[in-house]
Amino acid sequence: MPAELVLEEPVSTVTEIAENEAASETLQTSSGPSRRAFIATATGGFMLQFCLPGLSRVAQAAGTVAPTQFNSYIQIGADSSITVLFGGCELGQGSMSGLAQLVAEELIVAWSKVKSVSAPPSAISYITGGSSAIRTNYLPLRTAGAAVRMMLIQAAANTWGVPVSECMASNGIVTHTPTKRTLTYGALAPAAAKLTPPTNPTLIADSNLKLIGKPLARLDIPNKVNGRAIYGIDVRIPNMVYAAVKHCPSLGGTLASMPANANGITWVNLGNAIAAVASNTYSAMAAIGEGGDNGGGGGANFNWHIPASAAQVNSTLYAAQAATLMASGKPVNAELIGNPAAAMKTAASTLTATYSFPYLAHACMEVLNCTVNLTSTTCEIWAPTQASGWVQATASAITGLPLTAITVHTTLLGGGLGRKIEQDYIAQAVTIAKTIKKPVKLTWPREEDFGRDQYRPMVLARVQGGLDAKHNIVAWENRIVTPSILAQRGWIAAGAEDGQATEAATGLPYAMLNRSVDFVAHPATVPIGFWRSVGCSFNTYVIESFIDELAHQAGIDPYTYRRTLLANNPRFLAVLDAAAQLGGWTTALPAGHARGIAISEAFGTVVAEVVEISGATATGLKVVSVACAVDCGRVINPDSVTAQMQGGIVHGLSSVLWGHITFTNGTASVRNFNNYRLVRMADMPVIKVKILSNTNAPTGAGEPGVPPLGPALANAYFRATGIRVRNLPFFPAASTMSDG
Amino acid sequence: MTTLNINGVVHNVTVPDPNMPLLWVIRDIVGLTGTKYGCGIEVCGACTVLIDGSAERSCNMSVSEAVGRKITTIEGVSADGVSHPLQKAWIQLQVPQCGYCQSGMIMAALENFPGGDGSGISNVCVCGTYQRIKAAIVLANTL
Ligand code: FES
Ligand code: FES
Repeated sequence: MPAELVLEEPVSTVTEIAENEAASETLQTSSGPSRRAFIATATGGFMLQFCLPGLSRVAQAAGTVAPTQFNSYIQIGADSSITVLFGGCELGQGSMSGLAQLVAEELIVAWSKVKSVSAPPSAISYITGGSSAIRTNYLPLRTAGAAVRMMLIQAAANTWGVPVSECMASNGIVTHTPTKRTLTYGALAPAAAKLTPPTNPTLIADSNLKLIGKPLARLDIPNKVNGRAIYGIDVRIPNMVYAAVKHCPSLGGTLASMPANANGITWVNLGNAIAAVASNTYSAMAAIGEGGDNGGGGGANFNWHIPASAAQVNSTLYAAQAATLMASGKPVNAELIGNPAAAMKTAASTLTATYSFPYLAHACMEVLNCTVNLTSTTCEIWAPTQASGWVQATASAITGLPLTAITVHTTLLGGGLGRKIEQDYIAQAVTIAKTIKKPVKLTWPREEDFGRDQYRPMVLARVQGGLDAKHNIVAWENRIVTPSILAQRGWIAAGAEDGQATEAATGLPYAMLNRSVDFVAHPATVPIGFWRSVGCSFNTYVIESFIDELAHQAGIDPYTYRRTLLANNPRFLAVLDAAAQLGGWTTALPAGHARGIAISEAFGTVVAEVVEISGATATGLKVVSVACAVDCGRVINPDSVTAQMQGGIVHGLSSVLWGHITFTNGTASVRNFNNYRLVRMADMPVIKVKILSNTNAPTGAGEPGVPPLGPALANAYFRATGIRVRNLPFFPAASTMSDG
Repeated sequence: MTTLNINGVVHNVTVPDPNMPLLWVIRDIVGLTGTKYGCGIEVCGACTVLIDGSAERSCNMSVSEAVGRKITTIEGVSADGVSHPLQKAWIQLQVPQCGYCQSGMIMAALENFPGGDGSGISNVCVCGTYQRIKAAIVLANTL
């Protein structure tokens, strides 16, 4: 962070609240954020403070109030350098750069002049998730950038005593066009800081955009090729000690007794876990018997109190419960159109299929960790977190310190994937610091990261479809039995409809006159959370597999069948056609190869994928290629969108081929990567991505690449083998990885 | 006192246990944090370093085995951190996403550099950057 930044500076009392009409209108039409005011003020040097009000849907679901305080800043240095600070985080999606790109565009500066930094949170909750970074901040950031540009121009016009209309900004310089006089942004900054931000800044016209839509080099990448990038796990502070945590082997259990401190190890009771504190990470992990092949020699034996209820946390029991709930559970209707029950009775043919999905782990490359320096009056936290605002609240509750005494440094994240929204590891680190009264870094051994994840929920889903004689879908009944993430957190009432559990199952793009989608809450107690693409990760698999099953029953090519059903949906049709073309759908296949196709909308973005496989047998397959077409509205950085699609495809592929976690006696079946296989180099297909660019409001990119991959693969596999994979994963017996 | 040669620099360090894996000596005691912990069981490759030029997973190599040998970590790939052909190619093709696995990936690629296309690398990248890694290795061979 540049030294000239003084972020603790009190907020100026002069606060402009301006309704940005154009921005608000467009924001309203995009999915999610509601109409908000543009709030900004400038302070000395030059720093425009403003409020990014956008809340991710996780934050909305949690009832977090949208921020109205300043939480983002544009700083202009004396050298005209531009620093954008906002309360997000960089977990690999490139959004910190993407957001800075918006500001650079409106300021008309070279990309090399711009830096992007995580801002310490004020009383805000900016939660990175729901593919929301660009979606919710696009117009507010452009508006802020435009305001700064107009203030700089105004300052120049005032200096020269000329009309604003005779001045223009470009490349960090304001020019008085008639006389060719110039002033740099850096020179103008002090005067600009005294001006009131314009109430209705003018955005740069589409025809003049120079940076938006360009594949600019991401700002975070150079330090990621030389070890200089600092993730949470890399934080080192003076006099720091090192902690590792071990949870009770069974969910619901607690520590029954404390071992005595010895051999340089201090133990801390965390209730459902115990922490070892040592002079280095290895010694702490070895003390609890984890972190390596031999666990450093076995580790200590701990005494746990395991409640009888732990025996109920069992995947076999859960499967039986889900089947009972499917047959006779009390459903909550999520969507009802027409009269599907009546239409089903008169359908020319019907088809029913049931699909099941396992719990999945997040398995971020960087394990959970958090570093804390706690004094009697202050608490400083360094964490790879997707929810810095919540970290403040977590620490405040444990320490009793006011929010203003708690500073959160959001480090780079070695993957977040929804897991680093959670607060468990933060709370543990703060508790350890409070107990031992020393600065401490807590690192979870990989075994704990798998064993105490907040997993993608298990699901049982059934679809019944009714076709008329012309193969039109006249009836569609979908019932989804799954634990509710929101209900488990108490964010909605138990048993209430959870829109994240039924997302992508409702609002289908296909022509079907009568349809119902029901949700039945499964009360399984395994902790669950937000996993990349959340409900879309399973519902799209169901929908797009079942459409394929209907096409097969009708004897129609699945691409053609979808085209017919999408005849009145030009956006989907365009994406579907683009993927089919990119994937060579109509071209001849080599012997032993097969293709599958799927399409879905997630987070406002439509993605279609064509998967080509070879060598499919009952126990394996080779993915040859994936062709992906995406419409995510206006694209800020096409290379970042492409990277996110590539990443989403690989993520989806690992999860459907091998991903599964089961529970026995409250204990997860997976403790490390040796039992949780992920796609590696040798498994990689060739991935091609085509972006259908347009000027609609930007939609999400981080997650929408995931959902169509599974069903497109399943549909290819069915064509190759006649086997319809309805119980995930495809190949559970092949889900191990060894070294090298 | 244990003497280690890391990136051409001699470090005399006190390690609490001769079985301590090199990974944690490098990270916690020497203080070079570019080498990452991912699994601790030689599966993910995040901790890859070069020992006398060959790629080794430092999470399961005891520090005593590394004494007297030339250890290269990601910090030692180039002096300025961006000028090795692999680093140039990585930046040019915008390979990293979260970046956490990339130290290990670059060290694995460095073992055979120049040459190869990365198809023998078995490290894990949860973000799924494999296609770009391969392309970057091929590009680096020409830089
Ligand atoms: S940390 Fe060494 S291979 Fe994973
Ligand atoms: S770039 Fe994130 S794990 Fe590889």
